[in-house]
Amino acid sequence: MIVLSGLAKRYGEVIALAGIDATIEGQIIGLLGPNGAGKSTLLKCLLGLISFEGSATVNGLPAGTHGAAIRDRVGYMPEHESFLPGMSAVELCAYAAELSGLPRVEAMQRAHAALYYAGVEDKRYQPVDSYSTGLRQRVKLAQALVHDPELLFLDEPTNGLEPRARDEMLELIRELPARRGCAIVLSTHLLPDVERVCDHAVIMDRGRVRFAGTLDELRARETGAVELAIEVRAEAATLAAALVAAGASCEVVSPVALHVASLPDSPKIDAHLVFATAKACGVQVRGIASRRETVEAAFLRVLAEPTA
Amino acid sequence: MSGTIHDLGYQRYTGARRPTSARWRVIVRHQLTTAWRTWWRFKSAFGLAVIISFIAGGLLYLASDKLIRSLGSGSIAVTFADGVIPMAMTWYHRAAFLATLTITASVVAGDLQSGAFTLYFARSVRPRDYVLGKLGGLAILTAILTFAGPLLLAGLRLGLCESTEELVATLPVLGKVAILGAIATIVYTVVPLGFSALVTDRRYALAVWAAYYLVLGSMALLAGLVANHGLAALDLPSALERITLALFDVQFVRGKHADIPLATAIASLSIHVVVALGILGWRVRSVRTGGVGGSG
Repeated sequence: MIVLSGLAKRYGEVIALAGIDATIEGQIIGLLGPNGAGKSTLLKCLLGLISFEGSATVNGLPAGTHGAAIRDRVGYMPEHESFLPGMSAVELCAYAAELSGLPRVEAMQRAHAALYYAGVEDKRYQPVDSYSTGLRQRVKLAQALVHDPELLFLDEPTNGLEPRARDEMLELIRELPARRGCAIVLSTHLLPDVERVCDHAVIMDRGRVRFAGTLDELRARETGAVELAIEVRAEAATLAAALVAAGASCEVVSPVALHVASLPDSPKIDAHLVFATAKACGVQVRGIASRRETVEAAFLRVLAEPTA
Repeated sequence: MSGTIHDLGYQRYTGARRPTSARWRVIVRHQLTTAWRTWWRFKSAFGLAVIISFIAGGLLYLASDKLIRSLGSGSIAVTFADGVIPMAMTWYHRAAFLATLTITASVVAGDLQSGAFTLYFARSVRPRDYVLGKLGGLAILTAILTFAGPLLLAGLRLGLCESTEELVATLPVLGKVAILGAIATIVYTVVPLGFSALVTDRRYALAVWAAYYLVLGSMALLAGLVANHGLAALDLPSALERITLALFDVQFVRGKHADIPLATAIASLSIHVVVALGILGWRVRSVRTGGVGGSG
């Protein structure tokens, strides 16, 4: 979907993008990174808004030479307000669709459909200026969707939303690939949002892509193993000792709980092995669950890793 | 508001898209629509222009045969009708100034303030499409006041001619009105639009333009009267009036009048327009990417 090859951008002495090579695929991709990581510059490059060195293609179109064609096929939901004063939501969306090249009648039809999808149907004739933050975010999503893009860039879509509105917005985002056939690049600082809706992640830091892959790959990157959280009736230490003997890494959390992970170059620890070991040493297992690293922890870990 | 997701039988759009080069027309239409929407934006200036047309038209009809003066050795007689049109033009220019206060002088600053540039430039709109669209839409609105109105009067003037000879002799008035209308349209479109691109707050943009036009203009006119006549050309209405006088060869009564050299008046208007276009281009190019990727 997005292929970057030697993508570099400098602003004077400041290196915004330091020769990125990456292939970014997925249905909902979280674009993560601290401030100044280069996310904004990357988005501008991908939209063909600024010149750059190297190459970047979006859905097969080179961003350096086909920026306008890309922007016709890409929707962008900005973080900040981008409305025209006095316009209603339906007028704004229809205007946005026409600016993306749709004929007038089609633009109006799609504006109604996009607003309906975003849940603004009952207030779509009111001026956007009078909307609450939640409704404004929905209108921003609708204007990004209205010209039927193949790829959506969402910039902090849940910013300023109260919990319920945030849930609804994330639900809309999660449903988009299946219902609209578009992929999404979600740029956000809210890592729980990424954990909830994204299947892929791209982590940027100081102009470099530090990680690009699935969330599972991100979590399993360090040990290559899935951790298990085990609850026992008693004698967690006994089970831990037996599992360590079987080649696992164990941490006894309490007399009735322990965390287990595979060690590199050791047999994979799974539920079957845990049950068999517990039975052998006479410990009753009451619960077993996969214990996954959070995206936040993985993000911090990736940033802490030394740069190659 | 519910959390239900609706689709309305969604199907991907597979039809043709308008070429990028045609996007400016969408902006022109939008500019016209929004300007016409409320009574105070364009309708107030339009109403003023209609009143001017009625009064001037009535004067033309009632007093077309009244002599206001003779020129040179008396071989050319200037009737009241010949004076009404240039006089009316100064009033049309006032209507155009009113429109700049309600629309033009805050356009770019308003777009900056509302974040509208992101709406435009995250799409396939190019800076030149934006500039062309805004200039086109606002020029049409201004032309209704400064071009169409005077042209209507010129048509009426021709219609009141009593003989073919008079009609032929009066025919050049159409061309003169068209030239003046075009100049006034350009000036009252481009210059305030340039001012609207100077600052990022629409109220300040409006204040700066009004101060320049009214206060600095009056000071320039005063300086022109007491010191150097050329300085008065900085006053846009005076510069336009000088070109009107040159074209119609009519001296109509005015309280304060500086004898601006024609070349200075033309140069002043040209410089105003060029500088305004420069500011407009600079601002639009510089903010093109500003709204994308706001999260850092």
